[in-house]
Amino acid sequence: MNRWLMVLFSLMTTTVFAHTDSDSHANLGDRATELKEAGESKNIHPDLTEIRIMHPDFMMHKRDKTLRQGVRTKRNSLKACVNCHSSTDKNDEYIPINQQGQFCSTCHQKVGTSLDCFSCHRSTPKEDL
Amino acid sequence: MSIIRYEQTQGKSLGFYALIAGLGAFILAALGAVYFMEHNGHHVTGMSNRIVWGLPHVFALFLIVAASGALNIASIASVFNKKVYKPLSRLSGLVALALLAGGLMVLVLDLGRPDRLIIAMTEYNFNSIFAWNIILYNGFFVIIGVYLWMMFERRMNKYSRTIGIAAFTWRLILTTGTGSIFGFLVARQAYDAVIMAPMFVIMSFAFGLAFFILVLMASYKWTARPLGNAIVNRLSNLLGVFVAAVMYFVTVYHLGNLYLAENSGVENFILVDGGIYTKLFWYGQIILGGLVPLALLYSPATKGNRTMLGLASALIILGGIVQLYIIIIGGQAYPMELFPGKEILEGYVGIAAYTPTLPELMLGLGGIAVAVIAITYLVKFLPFLPESLADDVVDPHHKK
Amino acid sequence: MNKRQTAVQMDKNLNRREFIKTTAATTAGVATIASGITLTTYANVASENPVTNEKRWGMLIDTNKLTETDIDDMIDACQEEQGWGSEILSTGDQKSGWIKKIKVKDTATDRISNLALMCQHCEEPPCVDVCPTNASMKREDGIVLVDKHLCIGCRYCMMACPYDARSFVHEELTDQREHMPRGKGTVESCTMCVHKVDKGEQPACVEAVDSDAVIFGDLYDSNSKINQTLKKIQSAQIRADLNLNTAVRYSGI
Repeated sequence: MNRWLMVLFSLMTTTVFAHTDSDSHANLGDRATELKEAGESKNIHPDLTEIRIMHPDFMMHKRDKTLRQGVRTKRNSLKACVNCHSSTDKNDEYIPINQQGQFCSTCHQKVGTSLDCFSCHRSTPKEDL
Repeated sequence: MSIIRYEQTQGKSLGFYALIAGLGAFILAALGAVYFMEHNGHHVTGMSNRIVWGLPHVFALFLIVAASGALNIASIASVFNKKVYKPLSRLSGLVALALLAGGLMVLVLDLGRPDRLIIAMTEYNFNSIFAWNIILYNGFFVIIGVYLWMMFERRMNKYSRTIGIAAFTWRLILTTGTGSIFGFLVARQAYDAVIMAPMFVIMSFAFGLAFFILVLMASYKWTARPLGNAIVNRLSNLLGVFVAAVMYFVTVYHLGNLYLAENSGVENFILVDGGIYTKLFWYGQIILGGLVPLALLYSPATKGNRTMLGLASALIILGGIVQLYIIIIGGQAYPMELFPGKEILEGYVGIAAYTPTLPELMLGLGGIAVAVIAITYLVKFLPFLPESLADDVVDPHHKK
Repeated sequence: MNKRQTAVQMDKNLNRREFIKTTAATTAGVATIASGITLTTYANVASENPVTNEKRWGMLIDTNKLTETDIDDMIDACQEEQGWGSEILSTGDQKSGWIKKIKVKDTATDRISNLALMCQHCEEPPCVDVCPTNASMKREDGIVLVDKHLCIGCRYCMMACPYDARSFVHEELTDQREHMPRGKGTVESCTMCVHKVDKGEQPACVEAVDSDAVIFGDLYDSNSKINQTLKKIQSAQIRADLNLNTAVRYSGI
């Protein structure tokens, strides 16, 4: 059993690493693209490999802190991810980030991992109240 | 006592394949129902925020309760040393496992998020009787598995009594736990009663044995193996005692509730003016599921008649499902007492409506089909059934 | 100091943590005396620190002052804030109801009262006790929540809740509020607008009522309005017989 887990794990990490070869991403999202062009992305994600591999853990840690302890800081919050990495369509409407070809789903589909956040979480940036 | 020889069933007849195909159809229908319910969400079911547990839970709890009861035959043989029942021990363990698997399947597939089952296995809240039940169910599988091994493996036979005692204890705790799922709910008038736990234990005796008798008689008939009256009549008598005991507990439960003024409302609802629930209680649970089987089992005209025993067992199963329907659905339909001494005019009013839908029923029946198909297959691959249960094999002192 | 001590004495009626309370009050007492009644000491920043059990958020609903329109406003505000109530496919009892208008009649006197019923944020919540996966949980400051990441949708908490406060999401949802994830197959209920409370604001339903029919605040803080009012007037908990020590209290019923 353990051996299979190891195989699975290494397969998964190699797929993630395969992606980390280049800095490019098919669909970075509107705000994130702006920030990148302005050269500010390094301030947000200093190490791309780290965020690519570790983001589930970061977010898991953050979710428990927010929900259970009321720590509502921006770092690693899902809201912040969605805000920067969402794209708009021709009509200037946000496309859900988990839709085909969007930031989250592109990678998740490629590596074949489930993406369960948006069965509950809002998949576009904040609504106009 | 002569040596009991166990043998697999042939499982090549047309009947066997017809049975498998029929059960398979039910299981497919159940899976279809699950896909439909999970894809659309529970709005396609009759369940709501008032009736949060519906028909699937009725079937699931029936199967789980019956599972622990089906193990009784093995327990009587090993724990209480009644040699006559010994040849039935293996089948008893198998039926118990199969029923539990069917019940758990229904329970799990009705979850709002069945895809998160792993969470139920990794995150435990030890204050929750439900979490304890998960441990008890998993443990039941393991213990029965070991128990069966001890019985199958000749070298291990000597330990089977020890494991048998452990299994018996475990199953008592398990059914107590299942009953406590309801017994510990202080909020609802119909449930908050300690007697729920022992009542569930007695119910398990009756439901499990009824199911076991049906399986036993059907498998011996269909495989044309001899099944003597010595064993069948004993089981029949035992079944009668269990059914009477269930009725006793039901009486005590309702009398106890009637005595408490705060619970007179819900008692009135179930016993007198609850519409469908009152009808189900008197006609379904008491008459069809209790009095008629007792008459069939004990009246001189029908006593000893296999067909009548089968009918009585089927009625007990039906009555058991009805009984759980009344406990689970009826208990939720009656509103909680939010403001004692006040009448609620608006906002949380009256008896909650519930109409079960076809997918719910198919899921429930699918659970039974899973149990039966597991038994049908496993008796083909492993020697669970004695070649003969004729009177002189079972009981050497039997007089012809 | 005398006044402080009586206040502390009276606090015992409100909570079971006299010890912490007494020590805290005697050390912090002098500083707060001069300031008199402060509504609630809110810090208007997102906190980096976990919430603690030195606070217990609560609500007092005065049914004599609360009009039926007020209750409707509370429900509307809650729906608007949290985004529930727009379910299309769910019918009747399947629809979510985080807060309900309840009209009760006293069977002896025929007196009618109206009240808003929502999660009572019990100190000993039955939903938390029964939840198999720790999804139902109580924050240190007494707010009872569902961790939907862990909720498997077994609905045992709904069986256990004496207040009919919880709803199960019966259909797929989209366009949730950013701060309030909700999804098919999980259980939800009043969060006491925890996202607002953590920012130092009041719950939406409290803000929706103009009068002081609904008061929100820290039950433990003897300078809070809710604490002081609870000391003065008669109030009740719903199903007090269950000893759950609810954080939502009612007066006038």
